[in-house]
Amino acid sequence: MSGFGSPAEIGVAQYLLMTIEEIGDGTAALPHTRGHFPGTPNTFDANGRLGTDLLTCIIDSIGGMTSGLASLPDWIVTTNLMVRRAPDSLTGNHGTGALTLDTHVLRRGRSSVVTRIDTTDTSGAMVATAWMSCAILTPANGPPPFNRPVKPFDRAVPNDPIFDTPPHEFFNLSAGPTPGLVSLAVDQRLRNPWGILHGGASAVVLDAAARSLVVGRPTAEATPEAIVTDLAVHYLSPGRVGPVLASATTTGHRGQDHLVRVEVRDQGADNRLMALSMATVRLLD
Amino acid sequence: MTTEKTTARSPLDSLLVPSDDVPADSRPAYPPPRHAMSLLALESEQDLSGDVRGWMPVTRYTATADGMPRLATVAMLVDALGGLRSITASDPEWAFTADMSIHLLPAGPIEVLQADLHVRRRGRRTLVIEAELLADGERPAGSALLTFAVVPRPEHLVNITIDMTPGRRMMNRNSEQEHLTGDYLDELQLLVTQPGNATIELHPAVCNTVGALHGAVHASLVDEASASLARSLLGRDVVTTDMHLAYLELGRVGPLSATATSVGGPSSDHVSAVVEIRDGNEMLVSYATTEVCGL
Repeated sequence: MSGFGSPAEIGVAQYLLMTIEEIGDGTAALPHTRGHFPGTPNTFDANGRLGTDLLTCIIDSIGGMTSGLASLPDWIVTTNLMVRRAPDSLTGNHGTGALTLDTHVLRRGRSSVVTRIDTTDTSGAMVATAWMSCAILTPANGPPPFNRPVKPFDRAVPNDPIFDTPPHEFFNLSAGPTPGLVSLAVDQRLRNPWGILHGGASAVVLDAAARSLVVGRPTAEATPEAIVTDLAVHYLSPGRVGPVLASATTTGHRGQDHLVRVEVRDQGADNRLMALSMATVRLLD
Repeated sequence: MTTEKTTARSPLDSLLVPSDDVPADSRPAYPPPRHAMSLLALESEQDLSGDVRGWMPVTRYTATADGMPRLATVAMLVDALGGLRSITASDPEWAFTADMSIHLLPAGPIEVLQADLHVRRRGRRTLVIEAELLADGERPAGSALLTFAVVPRPEHLVNITIDMTPGRRMMNRNSEQEHLTGDYLDELQLLVTQPGNATIELHPAVCNTVGALHGAVHASLVDEASASLARSLLGRDVVTTDMHLAYLELGRVGPLSATATSVGGPSSDHVSAVVEIRDGNEMLVSYATTEVCGL
C-alpha cells in the first residue's frame, strides 16, 4: 500500500461534498460518526432523490473512514459492502433531498472491521441501511492524517465544470454495445488517496450496468423507470489501469424485482476481476 | 486425497476421516442426534479441482408457501458446502465464514435444490465463494456469496484426512436414519415471541463443533424474525427472499435472540429489515439485513 494523498483532495469527495463529524471525544474504541450530504441538482434525479450509485459512494466513504478510525494506527480497505433501500423511499417524496448518514462500528477484530451505516432524510425517515466489512492493513507510510475527534471541514472544489455534471459524466461512463455493459475510463479524480479506483466508482459503474440490463437498452445514464434496491458488492482486487468494464447478466426475477449478477473487470490489467456483485433492480410503475 | 491424520470431529464428519492410530476423541460425538444440519439430508460431491456441488431435498417441512425452500434451510446448504469448499481452497490454512449473502428466486414448487460452488478469490486473508442455486437441476433459483476469513489452521485440525473420492454422498451419516417429521424451525425449537422477535436456546442440535450457535442457525433466526415482522406489517403470508448476514462473535451463551426492525415503511408487498442477534449476555453476535415479500 503506497502513501496516502490529501483527504481534502479526493475527487469523488469533492464531487459529493459530504461533511463528516465524529460523535464524542474521539477516544471510543468503536467510533461513531455522522455525515451530512446536502446534495446538488446534478447529483439528484428529477425528483430530488439520490440514486443507489451515489448513495453507495457516500456510504462507502463514511463507512470506510469510520472503519479506518477504529483501526488506527493501521488503516483499512473495503472488502464488501451491502446496501438496502427502504421500500417506501423509492418513489414519491420520501427519501428525497439532503441525507444524514449515522455510522457505527459494530466490531473491530484483529484483522477486520464491520460497520453499520443508516441513512435518513431530513424528516428522519430511513432511506437505506448498509453494512460493510473492511480488512485491516498496515500502510507503508502510515494512516491518513486525522485529528480526533474528526470535525467537518470545507473541501476546495476544483474550478472544473466536470464537478457540476451528472454522475455518468463525472465518472466517465460509456454505454457498451448491448444492454448490461458499461465502461469507466479511470481518471485521476476517480482515484482514492492510495491511487487506486475509488470503491464508490466501482459501485457507480456496476449499478449502471445492472440498470441498463433490466431496462433493456445500452445506457450509462439515469434510468427513471428502474432503481437498484439492494446491492451486495465484494471487492476482489483494486482497479489500477482501466478501462473498467461492468458486465451484467440476469439471474431471474420476482415480479418487478430483477436479480442481476455483475462482474467488474480492469481491462488494462489483464482483465482482472475487481468486483463481483449481486443487485436487485426494481422496475418502477 | 490427503493422507494426514486427525482427531477432528466436524460438521463435515463424513469427509474428515479419523485415522486408526490416534487417541480417541473424548469430546461428545458431533453432530449429536437430530442436529440442524443432519435433518436436512444434504448431499455433496467434490470434483478433482475442489469445486463442490450439493443437493437438498425440499419437503413440506422445509418449504414456504411458494414451494421454495425457506431461506433458513438454503443457508444451511450453502454454509455446509462452502465450508467443504473452503478446506481445499484455504489449505494449508483454515477458513471461517465471515459473512453470507443469499438471494432466492420464485422457482417453486421444487423437489431438490442444487448448489454449485466456485471460488472467486483466494487472498492472503480472505476467501470468496459464489454459489449458483438451481431448482431441480435446471431452473435458476437464486445465488449466494460467502466470505471466509483465512486463519492459521487450529491445532485440533492440523492433521486431517479429507475423503475426496469421487461420488455423491450424504454430508452427514445421521441423515440416513434421521428425518424431519415436522416444521424445520419447530424442530430446532426456534420460537417467535412477538412479531420481529425470535429466540432459541443453545441446545446441542443447533450448535457447531465448538459449542456455539451454528452459523446457519443464525440465518434461521434472521429468517424467522424478519418473516414474523413482515407478516405482521403486511397482514399475509410472506417469504424472506434475501439476506446479507455478518458474523461478529461466537454465540456461546444462550438463549440467543433476534430482533428485526423495519427499514423505513413497507411498500404494498415488500418489507426491508435490519436484524440483530444477541446472546444471553446481550452481546451482539451477528447482524443482517433482509428483504421479505408478501405472497
